[in-house]
Amino acid sequence: MKVNDGAMTLALATIQALQILTIVIVSPFISGVTSHLEARIQGRRGPRILQPYYDIKKLFRKETLVPNDASWVFMAAPIVAFTCYLIVPMLIPVLTNYPLPLGYIGDILGGGFVLSLASFSLALAALETNSPFAQLGSSRAKTFGALIEPSILFVAFTVAVITTTDLPYFEAAAARSSISQIVRPAHVLAVIAFFLVVLNDTGRIPVETHSGTLEFGMIEEARSLEYSGPLFGLLKWGSAMKQLILYVLLVNVFTAPWGLAGTQKLSALLLAIVAFIAKALVVGLVFAMIDNSFSKLRLFKITEFMAATFLLAFLAVVALFLGGG
Amino acid sequence: MAALVPSTFSGIADFMAIVVLLSEFAMLRAPLSRSQIKLYSFQSMVVTVLAIFIAADRHIDGLYAVAAISLILKVVVIPAIVLRLLRDAKVELVASNRIGVASMVLISILVSIFAMVVIDGLYVHSKSLPTAALGVAVAVVLVSFLLVIFRSDVVSQAVGFFSLENGVSVASLVVAAGLPLIVEVAFFFDLLVAVVVFGVLMRVHHGRTQSLSTDLLDQLKG
Amino acid sequence: MNFILEAILIIPLSAALVSWWVTPRIGKILSVLSGTSTFVLTLTLVDSKTPTALAGWLRADSLSVVFLIAVSFLYFTTSIFATGYVHKVGDRSVGAKYERRLFAGLNLFCWAMMAAPLVSSMALLWVAIEVTTVISALLVAIDNTEGATEASWKYVLIASMGLGIALFATILLYYVGSTVFGHNYDLFYPSLFGAAPRFPHQITELAFVLAVLGYGTKVGLVPVHTWLPDAHSEAPTPVSALLSGALLAISFYAILRYFQVTVLTLGPRFPRDILLAFGLASLLLAALYLAAQRDLKRLLAYSSIEHMGILAIGMSFAAPIAIVGVLLHVLAHAAAKGTAFFGAGSIVKKFGTKDMTRIRGVVRVLPFSGPMMVLAILALSAMPPFGVFRSEFLIIYGGLSSPSSAVVSVLVLLVTIAFFGLSYFATRTMLTPALQGMVSKETSWWIVTAMAMGVFALLILGLHPPSQLSDLLSRAASELVVRP
Repeated sequence: MKVNDGAMTLALATIQALQILTIVIVSPFISGVTSHLEARIQGRRGPRILQPYYDIKKLFRKETLVPNDASWVFMAAPIVAFTCYLIVPMLIPVLTNYPLPLGYIGDILGGGFVLSLASFSLALAALETNSPFAQLGSSRAKTFGALIEPSILFVAFTVAVITTTDLPYFEAAAARSSISQIVRPAHVLAVIAFFLVVLNDTGRIPVETHSGTLEFGMIEEARSLEYSGPLFGLLKWGSAMKQLILYVLLVNVFTAPWGLAGTQKLSALLLAIVAFIAKALVVGLVFAMIDNSFSKLRLFKITEFMAATFLLAFLAVVALFLGGG
Repeated sequence: MAALVPSTFSGIADFMAIVVLLSEFAMLRAPLSRSQIKLYSFQSMVVTVLAIFIAADRHIDGLYAVAAISLILKVVVIPAIVLRLLRDAKVELVASNRIGVASMVLISILVSIFAMVVIDGLYVHSKSLPTAALGVAVAVVLVSFLLVIFRSDVVSQAVGFFSLENGVSVASLVVAAGLPLIVEVAFFFDLLVAVVVFGVLMRVHHGRTQSLSTDLLDQLKG
Repeated sequence: MNFILEAILIIPLSAALVSWWVTPRIGKILSVLSGTSTFVLTLTLVDSKTPTALAGWLRADSLSVVFLIAVSFLYFTTSIFATGYVHKVGDRSVGAKYERRLFAGLNLFCWAMMAAPLVSSMALLWVAIEVTTVISALLVAIDNTEGATEASWKYVLIASMGLGIALFATILLYYVGSTVFGHNYDLFYPSLFGAAPRFPHQITELAFVLAVLGYGTKVGLVPVHTWLPDAHSEAPTPVSALLSGALLAISFYAILRYFQVTVLTLGPRFPRDILLAFGLASLLLAALYLAAQRDLKRLLAYSSIEHMGILAIGMSFAAPIAIVGVLLHVLAHAAAKGTAFFGAGSIVKKFGTKDMTRIRGVVRVLPFSGPMMVLAILALSAMPPFGVFRSEFLIIYGGLSSPSSAVVSVLVLLVTIAFFGLSYFATRTMLTPALQGMVSKETSWWIVTAMAMGVFALLILGLHPPSQLSDLLSRAASELVVRP
């Protein structure tokens, strides 16, 4: 830290750490607010806003139970997943609109792969348990994951054509550069497609109910059924982080890349954190409203949701070349 | 190979045209006749907004009148007439897909791309007009044909014709925004008359067969 | 100062409105009066020099007048025929309400068909033709039988979709015009023709192809003809006659308007090739189907497709004489097909069926309309001395003098096949001995009158067309191939 022009500026490495910390610390809060809002929309009082923190704290105090057939994979999976969720925030613009030193180690696809690794390790662990529901969940998650993959690729492709790179920072900069970039058909379509991808990946309606307890409709939720204690706490925390990471991509890369810190000044960064939390809350509110306005699709109709997503992503690419950009 | 950034005006106009195309896709797969009609109403709404948008940007006052007529007729009256007809017919669901949803959508995508490539090759280039929307409009027209071909119930086929007109409307907004008002009014009047005729025939057909499917209409051959 | 153009539009429209409200008897008289006066008024236009009215929105150049004559002649004869068609028969569908609807519809239909050649703008032309579609679709469905419902649904759907394409062509034409005129102008023919040489080529090409495809749906050009045999066979016979003789021609008129613009922009090569392709396909398919028909009215419907194919092929020949032939063919076909449908109406009334295997000895049981039906069929197969012979002769003559003489041989071959199809029908049903128990008696003298007028017109056109008419045709032909 050094004093410069009377304001505190932070080293780039510190800012990088701050990005990760923001995600780690804020993510349960966003989940808490979202479920609180959801309850309020439904006319319930709902859980306290800070409830996820209490849950995690409680879980960390409990003992760990491991299924008889499980091996070390079962123990390692939550840690691997959590680590993945720690890595991704390095690659994306959480607080700053300028790339941080490690921001170049992976592009959108790289971030996607890291997230996939997390999902993969959880799927493996679910197979370990020999519990039918957990195995069902992991097989479904992989199936639908494979179906949503083409949409993600086409969104990435759209970004690549618009910015000539695949780096989230550049997409954000392009979107920031002029209103034309935001309203161009390719961008709008890609954003809608990505929004649907986020709906799917965070396990929201219409794909999955995240608050239900009915195992038959579960996809991703079912994978953690056999976990308990600190490992389960890590999983819950991790899924909150994953959700927030996806929100970051949605707002800070695609829709509203404003309010990010342009300098290394502490004040700017603090402002960016506040702006970021506000934006994430808006997204949470939108998701809560969607949760309350639609019903869950039957499992075999989910493919149509995927098809619609793919259609949008595909049209985004078509629009780039034929539909006016 | 970064694509050129379109102007804000044409970006928004093109996007609305694409929304019209997307709602055409949705009609193609919508299982309920009722939802098809609502989609048509939505599509007409988008066309109306596009008309207002272009009127505001280009300062063409006649288009406001067109938008008003379009709002009343295509967004409200025509859907209301057909919905009423449906209510009287008491038919909710007509199994009318000749081929699977996935194949329909895939064929429609191919057809849309074909339309856009063809129009792109025509070099309808103009600085002031969102000419890319013309290709999208042609795609809407072609997909509406597919709707008529692939769905064998009277509501789908009628909605196919109405939405064909929406596609042509988009095209006319894009390349012929200055079309004389009297002509536009005549177009709309025609559309209304066509709706009435479609309605009469649907009613006759339903009265005769107690069904909205057109599979029964196979007597005349040769 | 005269108001002929306005009168031509106002008379049928008021006849339609009034006959909806009054008793069928008065409605019939009104229709006949309206048909007669419209025809007479149209004939007064033959010599006139492109009158305009309503601030230029109405305009009748020579080309319009040719088509106006075709329509108004059929209006005139059909109104007479229809009077006999619904006259005191035990047909279940006939009632006062039915008659009122039919006559109001016929007048309205004719009004729309008269309006199409009279309007002077591409956009209003589309509107008029779409109006003809919706009115005629209702008229096709008026008998309320299973077949009529099906035919009407197919017709209104296919024709409307086709006209959707035509509307797209109109929009594109407006766009190419706006490259010259700027963004606010009316699609009036004279201004379009004046500016056409400066239009961008590719989009004009597209507009022309779409117009041929779109309006061609209503003309009945193969492969977009599929509604035509159904609608013609299931409609009440007066409607069939108007559909076949007048409506197809009016739609062809719309194509000719696009042809005019396109020739001025692109030169004659491109539009001719397009019309040739559609024309050959139509002629080929119709000639083959003609040989295999059992249904009397379907037979006539396929004959219409055949003749529309001949029109399209005739337009593809470079020689002006072929164009004159095409225009004469429009008139002759209207007279011949009208007469043939009137005869078919008489036969169907007499025998109670359209199935040709159950129709025998027509000439014997229908002493007047039977022989005239034979004459009409002969005229349709282009036998001398009827007008169709003269017109097809002109077309073939023009074709021989143009480079595409190979096409002419195909044309002659296919027309010959069609001739065999029609004459097979004629010998089977007309000249055979009568069935047991059929009384030799005409169904209605109105029908005989209408047919006699048709045959008379065919003879005039074939033997010695009045010089005013010949002048009109050559003026119209020169308008069609005018060089900038």
